[in-house]
Amino acid sequence: MKRRMHEMPVTQAMLNMVLEQAGGRQVLKIRLRVGELSPVVPHSVAMFFEYLSRGTNAEGARLEFERAPLETTCPACGARQVHPVPQDLRPQIVLARALASGCACGARALKLTGGGGFDLIDLEILQSET
Amino acid sequence: MIRTIPVLREVTEANSLLAEALRADFIRQRILVLNLIASPGAGKTALLEQTIARLAGELRLAVIEGDPTSTLDAERISAAGVPVVQINTGGGCHLEARMIQQALEQVERGEEPLDVLVIENVGNLLCPTGWDLGEDAKVVVASLPEGADKPLKYPMAFLTAQAVVINKIDLAPYLPAKPEEMRRNALVINPDLQVFEVSCLTGEGLDDWIDWVRARLAQKRAALQGVTHSESRLGDEAPDA
Repeated sequence: MKRRMHEMPVTQAMLNMVLEQAGGRQVLKIRLRVGELSPVVPHSVAMFFEYLSRGTNAEGARLEFERAPLETTCPACGARQVHPVPQDLRPQIVLARALASGCACGARALKLTGGGGFDLIDLEILQSET
Repeated sequence: MIRTIPVLREVTEANSLLAEALRADFIRQRILVLNLIASPGAGKTALLEQTIARLAGELRLAVIEGDPTSTLDAERISAAGVPVVQINTGGGCHLEARMIQQALEQVERGEEPLDVLVIENVGNLLCPTGWDLGEDAKVVVASLPEGADKPLKYPMAFLTAQAVVINKIDLAPYLPAKPEEMRRNALVINPDLQVFEVSCLTGEGLDDWIDWVRARLAQKRAALQGVTHSESRLGDEAPDA
């Protein structure tokens, strides 16, 4: 239930960023990247976007979501590991297991270097011919 | 014609930028800022009450209370005798930097400058971890009845924190969960964590926690000593300093 509530301000922040970049031109498509560990739920973002974008230049724009994988980096040897999230496991559990097992070099205290964020990748706008 | 505009920016970057501005303000004001994160009922407010009582007359504290709807926690803190500002998030699941910025304007600071500002985040172990409030340290409060595996279920909270307070250890004789087990699990997630085992009911273990708060404040101020002279001049010009 709680996971749903923060999408409204996050979607508003995303919309503001989009409108600023579009500079008054019509927005056709917005590409977003959601980290495996981000508590942002794409479905909720899409729902709030439809509501918040009404009457703006982004109304009707198509949202495309990509997943950013969960990635850790070893503080000792610098090795990066991507940790796939199986369907039946929560990403937080996958992270906990990764941290508990540490790096192949034996080091612990892995740093989380990917999969936490929510990024605006790019947008498609309609540019007038003139 | 259709054109693609590359952006590649974090959607919450406005929050991060504002949090950095707040952090700079807190440095100028030489205030230690702690962000308390926990599930509902873990004992954030009880820990605050105990901390206030133990530091009374020694350090000046202020509290920002995040709560979805009620003012009950703020009333408890106010009764404990420190300035408190209540933020009602209107059902929202976490605090954001702009809420802290607004709340700071309402903190009654009195004559003497503040030493420690504690932000009690909304009871939730997921969402608050992703929002920087300009704090020096996130502190997770986890109580024993929640289960010793809490760190393994919510690793992000423990990974982004500097300290964890294991509360309600007075209940250990009646529970399958043991404080040392929760400590071990917390350290599996983040070996750098400072772990305190306390009971806010009996007062057990709280002295170590209080010493840590004192030490963090001293540490922050000592680190500022080297830059105080150049920084203080900047601080004097800032209207909010």
